[in-house]
Amino acid sequence: MNFNREDNGDVTVLRISGSLDALSTPELRPTIDALVAEKRPSITVDLSDLRLIDSSGVGAIVSLYKRMRALGAKVEVVGLKDQPLAIFRLLRLDRIFSV
Amino acid sequence: MSAVYITKSQLGERSQPRYDGSVIHLRVPGTLRYRDLAVRVVGAACKLVGTPEESTGPIRNTAWDNEVVSAFGEAFNNAAIHSYDGRKPGDVEIEVEVGITAITIRIIDYGNSFALDDVPVPDLEALPESGLGLYIIRSFMDEVKYAAGTPNVLSMTKYVDPGRRQVPEPVDRISDSSGGDGRQ
Repeated sequence: MNFNREDNGDVTVLRISGSLDALSTPELRPTIDALVAEKRPSITVDLSDLRLIDSSGVGAIVSLYKRMRALGAKVEVVGLKDQPLAIFRLLRLDRIFSV
Repeated sequence: MSAVYITKSQLGERSQPRYDGSVIHLRVPGTLRYRDLAVRVVGAACKLVGTPEESTGPIRNTAWDNEVVSAFGEAFNNAAIHSYDGRKPGDVEIEVEVGITAITIRIIDYGNSFALDDVPVPDLEALPESGLGLYIIRSFMDEVKYAAGTPNVLSMTKYVDPGRRQVPEPVDRISDSSGGDGRQ
Protein backbone atom coordinates (compact mmCIF):
# COMPACT_ATOMS: atom_id res chain seq x y z
CA MET A 1 0.00 0.00 0.00
CA ASN A 2 1.16 3.50 -0.83
CA PHE A 3 -0.51 6.75 -0.02
CA ASN A 4 0.15 10.44 -0.32
CA ARG A 5 -1.50 13.58 0.92
CA GLU A 6 -1.84 16.76 -1.10
CA ASP A 7 -3.24 20.01 0.29
CA ASN A 8 -4.71 22.59 -2.06
CA GLY A 9 -6.16 25.40 0.00
CA ASP A 10 -9.00 23.98 2.06
CA VAL A 11 -9.09 20.77 0.09
CA THR A 12 -6.94 17.76 0.96
CA VAL A 13 -6.62 14.86 -1.47
CA LEU A 14 -5.59 11.55 0.09
CA ARG A 15 -4.57 9.06 -2.58
CA ILE A 16 -4.30 5.41 -1.55
CA SER A 17 -3.05 2.70 -3.89
CA GLY A 18 -2.32 -1.01 -3.72
CA SER A 19 -3.88 -3.05 -0.95
CA LEU A 20 -5.41 -1.45 2.13
CA ASP A 21 -5.74 -4.37 4.51
CA ALA A 22 -5.14 -5.51 8.07
CA LEU A 23 -1.39 -5.43 7.53
CA SER A 24 -1.11 -2.04 5.85
CA THR A 25 -3.92 -0.04 7.45
CA PRO A 26 -1.94 0.81 10.62
CA GLU A 27 0.47 2.75 8.39
CA LEU A 28 -2.39 5.03 7.38
CA ARG A 29 -3.71 5.74 10.86
CA PRO A 30 -1.22 8.52 11.77
CA THR A 31 -2.16 10.44 8.62
CA ILE A 32 -5.85 10.12 9.46
CA ASP A 33 -5.13 11.34 12.97
CA ALA A 34 -3.23 14.32 11.55
CA LEU A 35 -6.10 15.27 9.21
CA VAL A 36 -8.49 15.21 12.14
CA ALA A 37 -6.13 17.16 14.39
CA GLU A 38 -5.70 19.82 11.71
CA LYS A 39 -9.47 20.01 11.20
CA ARG A 40 -9.14 20.04 7.44
CA PRO A 41 -12.44 21.34 6.00
CA SER A 42 -12.65 19.11 2.91
CA ILE A 43 -11.05 15.75 2.23
CA THR A 44 -11.20 13.74 -0.97
CA VAL A 45 -10.09 10.12 -0.64
CA ASP A 46 -8.95 9.02 -4.10
CA LEU A 47 -9.06 5.23 -4.45
CA SER A 48 -8.56 5.09 -8.22
CA ASP A 49 -5.45 2.95 -7.82
CA LEU A 50 -6.64 0.84 -4.91
CA ARG A 51 -6.51 -2.83 -5.89
CA LEU A 52 -7.85 -4.50 -2.74
CA ILE A 53 -9.47 -3.45 0.51
CA ASP A 54 -10.60 -5.46 3.53
CA SER A 55 -12.72 -4.67 6.55
CA SER A 56 -9.74 -3.12 8.33
CA GLY A 57 -9.20 -0.67 5.50
CA VAL A 58 -12.89 0.13 5.33
CA GLY A 59 -12.83 0.74 9.07
CA ALA A 60 -10.08 3.31 8.67
CA ILE A 61 -11.94 5.23 5.98
CA VAL A 62 -15.20 5.11 7.93
CA SER A 63 -13.31 6.33 10.99
CA LEU A 64 -11.97 9.27 8.99
CA TYR A 65 -15.47 10.04 7.73
CA LYS A 66 -17.10 9.91 11.17
CA ARG A 67 -14.42 11.95 12.90
CA MET A 68 -14.36 14.63 10.22
CA ARG A 69 -18.13 14.77 10.02
CA ALA A 70 -18.21 15.42 13.77
CA LEU A 71 -16.02 18.45 13.06
CA GLY A 72 -18.34 19.67 10.35
CA ALA A 73 -15.91 18.79 7.58
CA LYS A 74 -16.68 17.17 4.23
CA VAL A 75 -15.29 13.77 3.20
CA GLU A 76 -15.82 12.19 -0.18
CA VAL A 77 -14.50 9.00 -1.74
CA VAL A 78 -13.78 8.89 -5.46
CA GLY A 79 -12.39 6.39 -7.93
CA LEU A 80 -13.84 3.18 -6.49
CA LYS A 81 -13.90 0.21 -8.84
CA ASP A 82 -13.65 -3.58 -8.90
CA GLN A 83 -13.12 -5.29 -5.53
CA PRO A 84 -13.13 -2.12 -3.40
CA LEU A 85 -16.38 -1.00 -5.04
CA ALA A 86 -17.95 -4.40 -4.33
CA ILE A 87 -17.02 -4.10 -0.66
CA PHE A 88 -18.35 -0.54 -0.37
CA ARG A 89 -21.62 -1.56 -1.98
CA LEU A 90 -22.01 -4.63 0.23
CA LEU A 91 -21.47 -2.52 3.34
CA ARG A 92 -23.90 0.09 2.01
CA LEU A 93 -21.26 2.78 2.04
CA ASP A 94 -22.24 3.83 -1.45
CA ARG A 95 -25.15 5.73 0.12
CA ILE A 96 -22.66 7.71 2.25
CA PHE A 97 -20.01 8.40 -0.31
CA SER A 98 -22.15 8.50 -3.47
CA VAL A 99 -19.80 6.15 -5.30
CA MET B 1 10.38 -21.23 11.78
CA SER B 2 7.60 -22.50 9.60
CA ALA B 3 8.20 -23.11 5.93
CA VAL B 4 5.97 -21.93 3.13
CA TYR B 5 5.15 -24.49 0.53
CA ILE B 6 2.57 -25.08 -2.12
CA THR B 7 1.66 -28.48 -3.40
CA LYS B 8 -0.99 -29.67 -5.77
CA SER B 9 -2.55 -33.10 -5.59
CA GLN B 10 -5.38 -34.84 -7.28
CA LEU B 11 -8.59 -35.31 -5.30
CA GLY B 12 -8.76 -38.53 -3.39
CA GLU B 13 -11.36 -39.84 -0.95
CA ARG B 14 -12.70 -36.36 -0.23
CA SER B 15 -13.83 -35.85 -3.80
CA GLN B 16 -17.38 -34.53 -4.09
CA PRO B 17 -19.59 -35.09 -7.12
CA ARG B 18 -19.52 -31.46 -8.19
CA TYR B 19 -15.75 -31.31 -8.13
CA ASP B 20 -13.69 -32.61 -10.94
CA GLY B 21 -10.43 -30.85 -10.33
CA SER B 22 -7.65 -30.64 -7.85
CA VAL B 23 -6.95 -29.48 -4.35
CA ILE B 24 -4.35 -26.78 -3.89
CA HIS B 25 -2.58 -26.85 -0.54
CA LEU B 26 -0.86 -23.84 1.00
CA ARG B 27 0.66 -23.67 4.47
CA VAL B 28 1.97 -20.39 5.84
CA PRO B 29 2.80 -18.97 9.25
CA GLY B 30 -0.32 -17.52 10.83
CA THR B 31 0.69 -13.89 10.63
CA LEU B 32 -0.53 -11.03 8.46
CA ARG B 33 2.83 -10.91 6.71
CA TYR B 34 1.70 -13.90 4.64
CA ARG B 35 -1.78 -12.54 3.91
CA ASP B 36 -0.97 -11.12 0.50
CA LEU B 37 0.70 -14.34 -0.62
CA ALA B 38 -2.31 -16.41 0.43
CA VAL B 39 -4.78 -13.99 -1.19
CA ARG B 40 -2.88 -14.13 -4.46
CA VAL B 41 -2.95 -17.93 -4.46
CA VAL B 42 -6.70 -17.95 -3.93
CA GLY B 43 -7.18 -15.30 -6.59
CA ALA B 44 -5.25 -17.41 -9.07
CA ALA B 45 -7.23 -20.51 -8.07
CA CYS B 46 -10.49 -18.70 -8.87
CA LYS B 47 -9.44 -18.57 -12.48
CA LEU B 48 -9.33 -22.37 -12.59
CA VAL B 49 -12.99 -22.79 -11.63
CA GLY B 50 -15.21 -24.11 -14.38
CA THR B 51 -14.58 -26.37 -17.29
CA PRO B 52 -11.12 -26.21 -18.85
CA GLU B 53 -12.58 -24.22 -21.73
CA GLU B 54 -14.25 -21.73 -19.42
CA SER B 55 -11.37 -21.35 -17.02
CA THR B 56 -8.85 -20.58 -19.72
CA GLY B 57 -11.10 -18.58 -22.00
CA PRO B 58 -11.20 -14.82 -22.37
CA ILE B 59 -14.46 -14.35 -20.47
CA ARG B 60 -13.86 -14.29 -16.73
CA ASN B 61 -16.34 -13.17 -14.11
CA THR B 62 -14.06 -10.86 -12.18
CA ALA B 63 -16.89 -9.87 -9.83
CA TRP B 64 -17.16 -13.51 -8.75
CA ASP B 65 -13.42 -13.71 -8.22
CA ASN B 66 -13.46 -10.45 -6.23
CA GLU B 67 -16.07 -11.82 -3.87
CA VAL B 68 -14.12 -15.01 -3.22
CA VAL B 69 -10.89 -13.08 -2.65
CA SER B 70 -12.67 -10.65 -0.32
CA ALA B 71 -14.16 -13.44 1.77
CA PHE B 72 -10.90 -15.34 1.94
CA GLY B 73 -8.96 -12.24 3.00
CA GLU B 74 -11.31 -11.76 5.94
CA ALA B 75 -11.02 -15.41 6.90
CA PHE B 76 -7.24 -15.23 6.82
CA ASN B 77 -7.33 -12.05 8.94
CA ASN B 78 -9.41 -13.83 11.55
CA ALA B 79 -7.07 -16.80 11.66
CA ALA B 80 -3.95 -14.65 11.91
CA ILE B 81 -5.32 -12.04 14.32
CA HIS B 82 -7.64 -14.01 16.57
CA SER B 83 -6.76 -17.68 16.43
CA TYR B 84 -3.24 -17.19 17.71
CA ASP B 85 -4.04 -14.19 19.90
CA GLY B 86 -2.36 -14.64 23.26
CA ARG B 87 -0.43 -17.72 22.25
CA LYS B 88 2.57 -18.67 20.16
CA PRO B 89 1.74 -18.13 16.47
CA GLY B 90 1.16 -21.31 14.54
CA ASP B 91 0.56 -22.10 10.92
CA VAL B 92 -2.50 -21.53 8.80
CA GLU B 93 -3.26 -24.23 6.29
CA ILE B 94 -5.32 -23.42 3.25
CA GLU B 95 -7.00 -25.93 1.00
CA VAL B 96 -8.59 -24.72 -2.18
CA GLU B 97 -10.85 -27.23 -3.89
CA VAL B 98 -11.35 -26.13 -7.47
CA GLY B 99 -14.38 -27.46 -9.25
CA ILE B 100 -16.50 -27.12 -12.32
CA THR B 101 -19.45 -25.62 -10.47
CA ALA B 102 -17.88 -24.21 -7.31
CA ILE B 103 -14.84 -23.38 -5.28
CA THR B 104 -14.40 -24.51 -1.68
CA ILE B 105 -11.75 -23.00 0.56
CA ARG B 106 -10.81 -24.43 3.93
CA ILE B 107 -8.80 -22.33 6.38
CA ILE B 108 -7.29 -24.50 9.08
CA ASP B 109 -5.62 -23.24 12.24
CA TYR B 110 -4.49 -24.72 15.54
CA GLY B 111 -5.34 -21.78 17.79
CA ASN B 112 -8.32 -20.35 19.63
CA SER B 113 -11.80 -21.43 18.61
CA PHE B 114 -14.94 -19.35 18.37
CA ALA B 115 -18.68 -19.89 17.92
CA LEU B 116 -19.66 -18.88 14.39
CA ASP B 117 -23.33 -18.50 15.26
CA ASP B 118 -22.56 -16.19 18.19
CA VAL B 119 -20.92 -13.53 16.04
CA PRO B 120 -23.49 -10.75 15.65
CA VAL B 121 -24.58 -9.37 12.29
CA PRO B 122 -23.37 -5.76 12.10
CA ASP B 123 -25.66 -2.77 12.13
CA LEU B 124 -24.60 -1.15 8.88
CA GLU B 125 -26.71 1.94 9.53
CA ALA B 126 -24.41 2.75 12.45
CA LEU B 127 -21.34 2.79 10.17
CA PRO B 128 -19.34 0.25 12.16
CA GLU B 129 -15.56 0.47 11.98
CA SER B 130 -15.04 -3.17 12.92
CA GLY B 131 -16.94 -6.42 13.19
CA LEU B 132 -17.48 -6.70 9.44
CA GLY B 133 -15.29 -9.66 8.52
CA LEU B 134 -17.72 -12.51 9.00
CA TYR B 135 -20.51 -10.47 7.45
CA ILE B 136 -18.39 -10.11 4.32
CA ILE B 137 -17.62 -13.83 4.35
CA ARG B 138 -21.25 -14.85 4.77
CA SER B 139 -22.45 -12.36 2.18
CA PHE B 140 -20.02 -13.26 -0.56
CA MET B 141 -19.90 -17.04 -0.05
CA ASP B 142 -22.82 -19.43 -0.48
CA GLU B 143 -21.96 -21.88 2.29
CA VAL B 144 -19.92 -21.17 5.42
CA LYS B 145 -19.21 -23.81 8.04
CA TYR B 146 -16.94 -23.83 11.05
CA ALA B 147 -15.73 -26.81 13.03
CA ALA B 148 -14.02 -25.89 16.28
CA GLY B 149 -11.31 -28.15 17.58
CA THR B 150 -7.72 -29.04 16.96
CA PRO B 151 -7.55 -27.93 14.29
CA ASN B 152 -10.27 -25.36 13.73
CA VAL B 153 -11.62 -25.57 10.19
CA LEU B 154 -13.52 -22.78 8.46
CA SER B 155 -14.96 -24.07 5.21
CA MET B 156 -16.60 -21.83 2.66
CA THR B 157 -18.03 -22.59 -0.76
CA LYS B 158 -19.09 -20.36 -3.60
CA TYR B 159 -21.00 -21.68 -6.58
CA VAL B 160 -20.65 -20.43 -10.09
CA ASP B 161 -24.45 -20.23 -10.17
CA PRO B 162 -25.21 -17.09 -8.13
CA GLY B 163 -28.77 -18.20 -7.44
CA ARG B 164 -27.68 -20.12 -4.38
CA ARG B 165 -26.48 -17.06 -2.48
CA GLN B 166 -28.14 -16.17 0.81
CA VAL B 167 -27.12 -12.75 2.08
CA PRO B 168 -27.69 -12.24 5.82
CA GLU B 169 -29.83 -9.24 6.62
CA PRO B 170 -28.17 -6.58 8.77
CA VAL B 171 -29.88 -5.89 12.06
CA ASP B 172 -31.60 -2.60 12.83
CA ARG B 173 -29.75 -2.04 16.05
CA ILE B 174 -26.38 -2.69 17.57
CA SER B 175 -26.15 -6.04 19.28
CA ASP B 176 -24.33 -6.28 22.59
CA SER B 177 -23.41 -9.89 21.99
CA SER B 178 -19.75 -10.53 22.68
CA GLY B 179 -19.25 -12.69 19.60
CA GLY B 180 -16.95 -15.23 21.17
CA ASP B 181 -13.34 -14.14 21.12
CA GLY B 182 -14.03 -10.84 19.41
CA ARG B 183 -13.66 -12.27 15.95
CA GLN B 184 -15.01 -10.08 13.16
